[in-house]
Amino acid sequence: MSGKLNARDRLARLLSVIPWVAQQPDGALIDDIVDRYAYPRAQLLDDLQDIVFFVGVHPFTPDSLIEVELSEDRVHIRYAEWFSRPLRLSVEDGARLLTAGRSVLPLTENDKPDENAASPLLRALTKLGTALGEGASEAVHVRLGNAPADTLGQLREAIGDRRQIELEYYAYGRDELTKRRVDPARLFSDQGNWYLGGWCHRAAGERVFRVDRVRSVTITSEPVEHAGPVVDTSFSPSGDDPRVVLRLEREARWVIEQYPVEFVDDVGDHLMVTMAVTAAPWLERLLLRLGSAVEVVSIDSPLDRDLCRRAATRILRRYR
Amino acid sequence: MDKLERLLNLTAALLHADRPLTADDLRERVGGYPDAKPSFRRTFERDKDDLRSMGMPLRVEAVPGSNPPIDGYRLNRDEYAGAELHFEPDELAALHLATNLVQVDGDDTALVRLGAAGGSPPEEQLGHVPFSATLATLIGAAADRRAVTFTYRGAERTVEPWRLSFSRGHWYLDGWDRTRSAERLYRVDRLESDVSLAGEALEPIGSVADPLDLRGWELGDGPAIEATVRIDPDQAAYARHILGDVALAEDGSVTASLQVRNIDAFRSFALSFLEHAEVIGPPELRVDFVSWLEAQA
Repeated sequence: MSGKLNARDRLARLLSVIPWVAQQPDGALIDDIVDRYAYPRAQLLDDLQDIVFFVGVHPFTPDSLIEVELSEDRVHIRYAEWFSRPLRLSVEDGARLLTAGRSVLPLTENDKPDENAASPLLRALTKLGTALGEGASEAVHVRLGNAPADTLGQLREAIGDRRQIELEYYAYGRDELTKRRVDPARLFSDQGNWYLGGWCHRAAGERVFRVDRVRSVTITSEPVEHAGPVVDTSFSPSGDDPRVVLRLEREARWVIEQYPVEFVDDVGDHLMVTMAVTAAPWLERLLLRLGSAVEVVSIDSPLDRDLCRRAATRILRRYR
Repeated sequence: MDKLERLLNLTAALLHADRPLTADDLRERVGGYPDAKPSFRRTFERDKDDLRSMGMPLRVEAVPGSNPPIDGYRLNRDEYAGAELHFEPDELAALHLATNLVQVDGDDTALVRLGAAGGSPPEEQLGHVPFSATLATLIGAAADRRAVTFTYRGAERTVEPWRLSFSRGHWYLDGWDRTRSAERLYRVDRLESDVSLAGEALEPIGSVADPLDLRGWELGDGPAIEATVRIDPDQAAYARHILGDVALAEDGSVTASLQVRNIDAFRSFALSFLEHAEVIGPPELRVDFVSWLEAQA
């Protein structure tokens, strides 16, 4: 943490620092406080000497003040009876910490060979939960993505070992199952989905794959050829992709929040949106789903306005 | 006097008080406030907001014997400190790592307060989880077994929160809807009002299907209809990732039973498979699906 802390940030720290130091019979190392409480050293020294030293209660006679004794690398604090215990965590702080911990719990549990011993994280979350209330153990569930744990485990292993993998991958937009060889670089979660970023040998470029569409992973014995981080390129239409202009009724407004839209024109009772169509099945699904809430205003070749009608007919064949 | 010194003295005075102290008492005992009354009031109000925003349980009570009643302030030491919370070094390290791996929206003061800010440098982040004050209130209420009120789909509801689940990019609230005397699911980002606490929860916490598996078609107020969908072998793996561990038939296809409370969402789900899936039943859902397509064919 760099930069200067404001008064509120310093107060939040001191309400924990004072009781902690006061409890150490031999005082505390300045460096320890700087590290544990992310307290910039110069500011900490100033605050201890010029502020905490003068804190106390009315009538502020010497016996009603905190005693601070500062040596070169150590500080002792005494007579801080009002601050003998730290301020409790706020509900918001506790809930946020519980959320972060719950998010990674499934991943860390996988690493654990001994299933009988509770992991440090689980112990910490249990204690934290006790402080928040009896219902805390069930209060928060987080799933960063919806992919099988064994697939995630294989991918993490391959990234760690820097090995190439063979993927059977379902390309949703194109509605086809593909086989690819990939140099896996990075696993990450976004909007509730797990993604794998890496170098795709077939495409000869960096690609991002949704892990829940990975049908199988085979870790090869070959080391990766392309290493390095992959930027988030989960959706990047190219300039050549055909464009479609849709007229959306207000009830279909959610489309602009959930789909990559290039232009939106808000025209009173409806919206005009322009989107790049990277693959036809993707647009078919959207149009079928929206039904009468959408109208195709214009569409670039090789796509045509009949695309949705043909898709509906194809599906209906199953019902005749 | 430095603002930090004033806030520390104010906190000490409030913790030290054996009776509620008025604003004037505090001005005298804390020191460092402006002399002019209006600017004192403004500064004092800001200080109270600062203390409250840090989670201090500031009590406001009428000063005994005052008539008309005058507000008095103090902090109860046990409320201030809460339950004893002591973490071992490896537990603090684990919390530290968790907050490094996942970015949860908002200030990260909890680690600092626990003295767990130091440690390993940040690793590559795995993900981001949205967070808000509303969500914190709901999690706090679920943990502390309190009821809440809020507006959802235009109706005021009193709900006993059971659990908050983050799945597929959204937070959901699962709990007991007192008005409807039934368990219900809500999308947290679709709450139409602030959340207020409304007394103690009375219903025991229910155990439904894993709330992380909840899907759009299960979110609704009506009774559930059981729908059957068959999905072709080439899409079966993808379907199982969405539906959980449903059984594969011998030909590799999947036949799944879904509890449908929201027909629009169910139809969208079935349409996402294009011609690779079929709504088998019940007849009313099959008819709805076919007529939806016929309108577009």
